[in-house]
Amino acid sequence: MEHLRQALAWRWRQVERPQLWLLTGLTLALLPHVGRLPWLLVLPAALLLGWRLGFELKLLRLPPRALRWLLVGLAVAATWASYHTLIGRQAGVALLVIMLCLKLMEMDKPRDVAIVIGLSYFVVITVFLFDQSLLMGGYMLLVVTLLTTALTAFSRMNAKVPEHANLRLAATLLAQAAPLALLLFVLFPRIPGPLWHLPSDGGSAGTGLSETMSPGNISRLSDNDAVAFRVRFTGETPPQNRLYWRGLVLTSFDGRTWRNPNEARRGLGATRSFDYTAIGEPVRYTLTLEPHQRRWLFALDMPAGAPPRSTVSADVEIIANNSVKTLRQYTLQSYLDYRLDARHAPRDFAYLRLPPDTAPRARILAQQLRAESRDDADYVQRVLDFIRQQPFYYTRQPPLLLDDPVDEFLFDSRQGFCEHYASAFTVLMRAAGLPARVMTGYLGGENNPLGDYFIVRQSDAHAWSEVWLRGRGWVRVDPTAVIPPERVENRDDLERIDPAYAARTREAPDWAKRLWRKMGYGWDRVNNTWNQWIIGYDKDTQTAFLGRLGLENVDWQRMVSLLFIGLGLVVAVIALQLFRRRPARRDVVGETYARFCRKLARHGLPRKPAEGAQDYSERVIPCRPELAAQIRHITLLYQRLRYARSIPRDGLYHLQQAVRRFRP
Amino acid sequence: MKYIDMLMRSLSGQRRTLGSFTLRQRLSPARFLRGEGPETGPVALRQRRVFILPTRQGLLFAAILLLMLIGSINYDASLGYALTFLLAALSVVAMLHTYRNLLGLRVDIGPAEPVFCGETLRVPVTLENPAGQARFAVSLHFPEQTKAVCDVSADGWARVELPLSAKRRGRHALPRITLATVFPLGLFRAWAYAEFDARVLIYPRPARATSRPKDSAWQTDLSGDRGQGADDFAGLRNYHPGDSPGHVHWKTMARGQGLHTKQFGGDRAEELWLNWQATAGDTETRLSILTRWVLDADVAHYRYGLRLPDQTLPLAHEPQQRRRCLKALALFNGGESL
Repeated sequence: MEHLRQALAWRWRQVERPQLWLLTGLTLALLPHVGRLPWLLVLPAALLLGWRLGFELKLLRLPPRALRWLLVGLAVAATWASYHTLIGRQAGVALLVIMLCLKLMEMDKPRDVAIVIGLSYFVVITVFLFDQSLLMGGYMLLVVTLLTTALTAFSRMNAKVPEHANLRLAATLLAQAAPLALLLFVLFPRIPGPLWHLPSDGGSAGTGLSETMSPGNISRLSDNDAVAFRVRFTGETPPQNRLYWRGLVLTSFDGRTWRNPNEARRGLGATRSFDYTAIGEPVRYTLTLEPHQRRWLFALDMPAGAPPRSTVSADVEIIANNSVKTLRQYTLQSYLDYRLDARHAPRDFAYLRLPPDTAPRARILAQQLRAESRDDADYVQRVLDFIRQQPFYYTRQPPLLLDDPVDEFLFDSRQGFCEHYASAFTVLMRAAGLPARVMTGYLGGENNPLGDYFIVRQSDAHAWSEVWLRGRGWVRVDPTAVIPPERVENRDDLERIDPAYAARTREAPDWAKRLWRKMGYGWDRVNNTWNQWIIGYDKDTQTAFLGRLGLENVDWQRMVSLLFIGLGLVVAVIALQLFRRRPARRDVVGETYARFCRKLARHGLPRKPAEGAQDYSERVIPCRPELAAQIRHITLLYQRLRYARSIPRDGLYHLQQAVRRFRP
Repeated sequence: MKYIDMLMRSLSGQRRTLGSFTLRQRLSPARFLRGEGPETGPVALRQRRVFILPTRQGLLFAAILLLMLIGSINYDASLGYALTFLLAALSVVAMLHTYRNLLGLRVDIGPAEPVFCGETLRVPVTLENPAGQARFAVSLHFPEQTKAVCDVSADGWARVELPLSAKRRGRHALPRITLATVFPLGLFRAWAYAEFDARVLIYPRPARATSRPKDSAWQTDLSGDRGQGADDFAGLRNYHPGDSPGHVHWKTMARGQGLHTKQFGGDRAEELWLNWQATAGDTETRLSILTRWVLDADVAHYRYGLRLPDQTLPLAHEPQQRRRCLKALALFNGGESL
């Protein structure tokens, strides 16, 4: 056992330290990709890293050239097998990772090392394409420091310095680079991307809403606490139960599944001018949307326009030009009260269409209720009353509906969540000849008291209906909201559906829960600030920020010249600090003796060039015998301070005193 | 090239009289390519003689940075921008550090021991660091010669023996020394030239063991052998303090007969004239043969002299004789280049 330990220790000492820094940095850089890459690539990458470590431990040999090429071929094949492409974000990253690990098999020249470290830095940036959170940023700063340490260690391979000196040097370099980087970050003109259209990634599934909805197919609503977006209102905040965040309209129904028809029409410029009358004062807000890989954006019902690089569809959905792959921030205005398409009935029969043979009992109910009601509005009210009065329950775990989801829900199970209610309600509307559609989006949001903004989570996802009523246009109706609180199964759901009632009946949370919640808000606020200032720093934010600094309307030429002036100044400061001359060390002893010589020189006895102190004193004393004692004393002190093996204590002080008192 | 050489010489001469560079001289491309011209004493590497350019690794790094910038723009990745800018700033800072790693060093050389043609001269070079920060991985080399790498501690100095392969006999000007460094990141290479006004002496390549000089070259002087030579054993005498231990006759001591010192003759031994006329072949071959004879004669403790067409070195047998003869052979007939 002891023997083994010693053998391992010996091998460990064999490892060249720069290689160790590099392998550590590279491994840590690759780590965040592990969850994203298929095992077909993760496993070989890990094996290759291990192989290199084995080589450094002098346990393994590197593969010969032919085998290396074979491995390259296998790596490409594995990537192709996993993604059926070699380009795009996912496949490109996979290929980069595996090729980089393969490069470790032929890394003996400085050039190879430079390539590996350079590409390792590149791996760091590919991680940011998927995750730009604060934690990941901090982690990657550590990785960059390690990789830089590897560079410094390689550049002074043979120097006898402790290893932590390399780490410190790398940290120093990065610290000196930080102000320059900050300047570049603030002033470098941001170009709104993309420069060219990117092939979409097949494999990446986004969280959140989808463009289809099949109530009855899911027996359990996910309880995903991930943040969908954050909102900061400028001015007055609307009441929580009016925060309907509009997302996607689902129009076509096949009996089980609601679909968004616009998906097919998109890209054809199928926007239609619609008739929109705003009532009252608008609500202004800035929304920071987490990347969800889809093209739709969210807005408070009803938005008064579209943010840049997006359009409004015929059903008033906001569709971005490109799918949202990174954090996106936009400022919008919405009117909580509005009239939409009030003048003309929608000509599109899609809002009325129901598949034949579905929901026969629902159709009968609709006929019956319609016959009893005075007008369309009354009919809507009667349907809502039906839901309120019959024993409908809100639950996140409804039974599966197998045969006819609408009828089974309305008349048998009567348990469901928002999707069931919205679907059934819309079917009842259409069955009575009222144009109706399902709206998906989010409801409400959680106010962060520490940051004065709202957090909307994936668990706030909601579905409701819109009905077209003569004279009023499209009217939002939320059938889920009419369920009495006592029929809501879960307290948390009640908070969302009926916040006022929930607030009245809420128990006071204990201190631990309060603290936990407060910490959660604090952390979310830090993240929000990070998102606003770092992740969301785009062209618009840049313009706004420079405006606040007093640089209004800066075009990019001026920005670049400002940038260069700033860079020049910062580099000059760093250079001054680096190249500062050390003040020449003063020769106090020599200066004091020189003063003594000058005093004598004023009395016509200058010291000759290259005349020693002893010779000088012997020459001077006969001319001024009355000063002999002083001259001898000063000369002796000077000689001792200069040449004695052990310097006399207080010698300098005595010399200075003697020279001061010396008055020839 | 010759013209540039002359130009440089005149420029450097002018510099010595004027004491400073004119702008034209300062910006001259010749200075960039050929350095400052030979000079004496320690050479301090000041700003105007330290150059810096990106290395191949640095260009690769720049290309990767460009890719990273494009990627950041394309994917609107703000942290991507941040990383790209951090690394770009890092390379700028590294450039300053690389430059500083060379700036202010003082270079000086010591005398190099003469070697034979075909061997390697070892030129002692001292690097003095007057600054408060250490210098790392400073590489030095003569043109097309092996590099030597050294570190210099803060306020310290380092000494390296710089190899220079001796290719031609004679006395040559020491080639220019290139000092370079890529520390700390390997992205930039700072370099400076130091050319010293110094000569190195290279003896001719000794021929393989050849026939001894012809008999005609031998002369015998029988007046010697007074026991003061070093070649032929002439008898024993009592040991006196100060006698070389190498001459103590240990066998008699082992027999218990006390300490005795061996006495040698040889001052009587053959005197040898190494004669140019006695060799055949072209000049270099003859010089090679004569070099071999000098070495053999020296080892054999002969009294020897050297007769060359243009000079004669009288018979002698003293330590300097070898050196004197080899130098004469090295410098024979145009050995003094430049």
